[in-house]
Order: sequence, then C-alpha cells, then structure tokens
Amino acid sequence: MLFNSIEFFIFLPIVFLLYWFVLNRNLKIQNLLLVSASYVFYGWWDWRFLSLIIISSFVDYFVGIGLGKTENPGKRKLLLFISVCINLGLLGIFKYFNFFTESFAHAFTFFGMAIDPARLSIVLPVGISFYTFQTLSYSIDVYNKKISPTRDVLSFLAFVSFFPQLVAGPIERAINLLPQFFKKRQFLYKDMSAGIKLIIFGFFMKLVVADRAAIYVDAVYNNVNNHEGITFIAATILFAFQIYSDFAGYSLIAIGTARLFGFHIMTNFNRPYFAASVGDFWKRWHISLSTWFRDYVYIPLGGNRTSTPRWLINIFITFLVSGLWHGANWTFVLWGALNGIYLIAEAVFFKSGRKGILNVFITFLLICFSWIFFRAANITDAFHIVHSILTKPGKLFIPEGADIVAPVYALLAILLLVIVEFKKEYFDRAGRLKKINHSSAKIAYYSIVVFVILYIGVFNSSQFIYFQF
Amino acid sequence: MQKKEKILFLKRLFLLTAVFFFIDFTLGLAAKYIFFSQKTGKYARITYSISENESDLLIMGSSHAIRHFIPEIFEKKLNITCYNSGVQGQKIIFHTALQRMILKRYTPKTIILNIDPEWMYTSDEAYETLADFYPYYWNNRDELHSILSIKSEFIDFPLMLNSYQMNSTIVHAARYFFVPQNDDKGYLPLYEKMDKNKISKTDINTKNKTAEQGSVFDLNFITAFEEFIKNAKKNNIGLYFVISPWVNRDDLVTEPSMKKMISIADQYTIKILDYSKNKLFLNKFELFYDPGHLNNDGAVLFSNLIAEELIKETDSSHTKTSN
Repeated sequence: MLFNSIEFFIFLPIVFLLYWFVLNRNLKIQNLLLVSASYVFYGWWDWRFLSLIIISSFVDYFVGIGLGKTENPGKRKLLLFISVCINLGLLGIFKYFNFFTESFAHAFTFFGMAIDPARLSIVLPVGISFYTFQTLSYSIDVYNKKISPTRDVLSFLAFVSFFPQLVAGPIERAINLLPQFFKKRQFLYKDMSAGIKLIIFGFFMKLVVADRAAIYVDAVYNNVNNHEGITFIAATILFAFQIYSDFAGYSLIAIGTARLFGFHIMTNFNRPYFAASVGDFWKRWHISLSTWFRDYVYIPLGGNRTSTPRWLINIFITFLVSGLWHGANWTFVLWGALNGIYLIAEAVFFKSGRKGILNVFITFLLICFSWIFFRAANITDAFHIVHSILTKPGKLFIPEGADIVAPVYALLAILLLVIVEFKKEYFDRAGRLKKINHSSAKIAYYSIVVFVILYIGVFNSSQFIYFQF
Repeated sequence: MQKKEKILFLKRLFLLTAVFFFIDFTLGLAAKYIFFSQKTGKYARITYSISENESDLLIMGSSHAIRHFIPEIFEKKLNITCYNSGVQGQKIIFHTALQRMILKRYTPKTIILNIDPEWMYTSDEAYETLADFYPYYWNNRDELHSILSIKSEFIDFPLMLNSYQMNSTIVHAARYFFVPQNDDKGYLPLYEKMDKNKISKTDINTKNKTAEQGSVFDLNFITAFEEFIKNAKKNNIGLYFVISPWVNRDDLVTEPSMKKMISIADQYTIKILDYSKNKLFLNKFELFYDPGHLNNDGAVLFSNLIAEELIKETDSSHTKTSN
C-alpha cells in the first residue's frame, strides 16, 4: 500500500481508531493489531512476499534467543553467521542475482569467452533492503551484547514489520524501537498533533515538490539523446530536489504515522543541501542508513582507528557497498565510489573541515554531479550526460503547451521548500511560528500547506523512489 | 488523563475538519468559477465539447486530431457544421469517456476518430491523464465512474473535495487567461515547417518502436475502443477512423496495436481512411511540423482529402439507399 493512495487514507484511520479507542486496554492486542495491520499494508502489493518478512523475522528472533543462551564464542559466531547468511542470502537472490550473473558474463565476454548468463525471473520485493538491514542489526547488536534478546515474539514481529517504516525506513535500531513495543503507549495530544504536521509536510514534499519535478526530470533522463548540456544541468538540479523530497517526504510521513501510534522513530534527514561539506552532507542525508553503514561496515573494517591509507580505503569500501545497496546497477556503484572519492579528498585536503555559504554551494554542486550517475538509466547514459554538460550547452528544453505547468509548479514548490528549510537552518530559534505559539496561526499555516497539496500536488499514486531499493 | 487528551484531540480534529471543509467549499466555488470561465485552452475546448457544441461532424482523437483536421474546410466542402474535439496526449479510454458525455446531451451525425498506433498498449499515462475529467465528474458521474474507478475503486471519496477536483488547473487557467490559445473551432494550427536535418535519430528509428518495447495490450483499452464503435452504432452516427500520415513511417498498420484496432473496425464494418502510406505526405518534410504532426499546409491538404473521401462515402451511401 502506498502512503499516497486512497487505500492508505482509509486504512490509517481504521487502524488508528481500533488502536486507541477499541483495543487500547491490552498491550499485546495492540501489538497484534500492529502486526496484522503491517502485514495487510505490505501484502497489499503482493501477499506472497510476506513470507520473506516472516522468515527473516523468525530467523533473527531465534538467533537472538540462541545468542542469549550461549556464551560459547564458536556457537555465537555460528548463530550470527546463520542470520547474516539468510538475510543477505535473501537480499542476494532477490536483488543481486541477475546483476552478478550478467556482470560475470560481461567480464568473460571481455576476455573473449561468450557466456550466456543464467537469469532468474525475479520480482524485487518492496522494501527488502530496509527490513533485512533492520532485522540483521538486531542479531548483530545481540551478538555484540549491546541489547538483550527478546522472547516476546509479537513485539519482535511488530518491530520488524512496523508498517510506517517497513518499506523504506528509517532503518530503526532495535535498541531504540524494540523497547517501545514492550511498554504501554500513551495517547498524547502533542504526539498526535506533531504526527499530523509531519505527515502533512511529508505529503507536500512528495506530492508537490518531488512528483512535480519528476515530470521534467523523466522527460529529460528518459530521452537523453534528445537533450543537451543546459537541459541536463536543469534536470539534474531538479532531480536533486526530487529525490530529496521524495525520500525525506516519505520519511516524514513514516515518522508522523509512527507518532500517531505513540512511537518515536529516528530523524532521517536534516536539511542535507545546507551541508558545507560532503562529510557533513552524509551526516544529514538518509541518517539511518549512513549510521547503519558506519556501525556495521565502516567501524568493523577498522574505521579511522588505523593507518591513514587503511582509513581511506575503509571510507571507500563503505561507500562502494552503500552504492551497491541502493541498486543492482553499476550506476549506483559508481555513485557510491564518487561519494567515497569526495570524502577521501576532503579527509586529505580539508582536514579542518569546510564551512560557509560558498562551501554549501560547492557541496551542492558535487552532490548534484553524483546524482547524474544515480539517476541515469545506465553508465552509457551517465557519461553521455556528463560529456554533453561539458561540451554541448545547447538550448534549454522547455515543455510545450500545457506541459509547461509541471516545471512551473515544481520551481514554485522548490522555492517554498528552500525558504522553509533556510529559515529552519539559520533562524529556527527566532522562528515566528514558534514565537507566536498560537494554535490558529499554526492551523492557518498547515491549512495552506494542505490546500497547496490538494491544488497542485500530483495524485497519480507514483511510487516512492526508494521503494525500489 | 488519557481520556482528556483523547477528547481534546477529537475536538480539535473536528474543528480542523470543519474549517477544512468550509475552506474547501468556498475556495472550490471560486476555483470552479475560474475553471469554467476559461475561454481558450484545453479545458475550454473540453467544456465546450461537453456542454455546448452541437455540430453535425465531430472530430475526435489526440494531438493528431487537433493539428490535422480543419473544421472550416469540412464545413465548406460538406455544407455541415463541424467541431474538432481532439484532446492532446489522450488515448482511447479518454475519448470514449468524452464520447459518452457528449452523447448524453446531443447526437452528432458523423464522428471522425483519428486513431493512434499505440492506443491498445498498456499505459499508465493513459489512466493518469483521465484526471482531466475530475472537474466534470459530479455532473457526469454515470458516464465517468466506471472509467475513473478502474484504477481506484474509491475515486468518489477524494472527488468529494472541490480542491481535489480542481487539482492542477489553476496555473493552466492563469496561463490561458494571460496568453490565450486561440483555436479555430478546436483546430490548433502549427505553422513551422520541419527541418529535415534536425530530425533526431530516435525520430528516424521509430519503426515498430512500441512493439519492440514488448508492450502488451490493455483489455480496458480494447473494451473502450469497442464501446466507442457500439455507442456510435447505437445512435446511428456515421463513424470513420482515420490513420494520419507520419513523415517517415509507412509501417503504422503493421504495429500490433494498430492491427488490433483495424481488425475490430473490420468486425464492425467501420471504414478506415488510411493515410499512413500516402505518397502525398510520405517524406514531404515541408508539410510537417515534426515527424508525427502536419503543419498548417499539411493540415489543409489533409483536411481537403478527408473531406473529399467523406463526400464520396456520402454519395455511395446515397446511391446504395436509392438502389
């Protein structure tokens, strides 16, 4: 089920009312409702893939119990190995099998040996990269004795499948989310109010900014042979806002929805385009994934507590893996590598860090450049775009007739978003809205946002970009 | 404590909902007034087609219809009234819905439907662009509901909001208020001539483009196409299908989607006027604006030829009747 679908707007109030007004006396029943609702939410796409979530959940549940029972290092390693193999195995089969077989076949072709790659007709289950990482982190944390294993199966199933953040995060850590299923949640007006506000702003980002920008971006990136440099620059900048608004919008809706049920989940974006360095950018962008890779890839590799060359290699490997996590395509690997190179360059040449508005602008340009590889359909297209930007400025593509409306709306919405974020970034403490702590002013503000969404949002139930990862 | 919080929440929610519906209603009234006051542009033409037009001959179809058929020529040659109800970017499912709404009010004597080669292939865009009908929904629910509910059974709920009905229409209305898009009874001429040297590789290599992409037929589109024919037959409307020329494509009828439409048309004995291989147009770049659209010179020639064909058809049917 998509957040931006009519079905969700029927589903959410029903679950909300049952949760707070009918089944609110018993914690276990509330958790059972959340598990059931989450499975309905996920099964709306394809109920068969529910089996993967259930397998993943039970594997880590029993691995956790096993780890809690034994202190034998060999047995503990074996249990962790089982969890890693099954979780990454599922991910490998469903997400990477065709990519690797085709890449091997290409490699052999390069050396003059023609091999027919074995292809499987596989549909990528929505959100597999997210819930796999979430449940895997539980087993790793139990193995590292950061948390105690749980025996409460219902809470654990709810933790893995919690519908607000099931398909595209934030990838929560068990240490933060799981305990919230153990204790009775309180119905607090401020939580409900905050939740609704987050949802409203999330929808603004998704339906107004991202989906409007997508119309122009798709028109350009899906027809790269018909466009030239200046158009690619415009489309790439729009894509920067599209992907940010799409994913941050989703995250806000997820966080807001969780808040409606009394749960607090982590912030995933913190105005990333105001970052003054690429390092700063990655502290603000997809925070739940960045910290996941930091804790479970970068630090185990040795982090920065090692020789400088090894440290730089660790950074590079982490970003390479992060690129591959995003998708089974060489464009994502290159995108990850490029960000790794940026960070290495910053680590080597800008040890004292970068600050100031000029660096914000430079960082934005560097990130935009990397988005070319993220968005392009394949490597050939990506290099065609880069080549075109560098050599053939050409004429800006302006859609004809009624189609001009989409980029106009997109630009207006981006302007609005930048103003809101600029204010939050630099003037939050002096924010008028906060000072005038008046509910009618807030109602007016959010009413305007709602009507902006309804009048100029795109209601074609388009997928969120990160659902494919 | 919990009870108090819940009551406070429900009270505020109720207040917010009441304010929301009030604003939606009042803003909606203004938005609707602006929308239905449009004098030019796509929506003005759709509104006119649905609520005012009573022409004898109706042209329907996508951009090819709007750009290729000049009502004035048909009016002069056939001595009838004519209006071009083509809507850019729309596919058969849209035209069938539009036909339903038009037939609810009046019955034209003849309809020409310009058919596009990819119409039978599944297309998300074809469903998404049905949103153009939202402002007309509640006045035409019987005609529109079955089509708009294909993608969502719950379409009635969001359409209860005036703001949702008027989604994406404000800038459109403003644009055509400040820069009117004047048409000639629905016909929108293109005056530029195509530069042969500027034709892109993708434009040249379009042969069987959609078939190569492995497109599959959409049963809803096939049903809509058949319904279009049945509606015309039921109302004794003379129906003609036209395949417009492309500058560099003489293979349109080999496109599986087109073949499907031709076979359905044959089944219902609908006359198809196929200009895809016509040598008057093929590779005549000076008659085109782009590979798929005639410019005004091309449209004049094309409209004259179609009008002549209609005269012949009328004569032969008169002969058959008198015999």
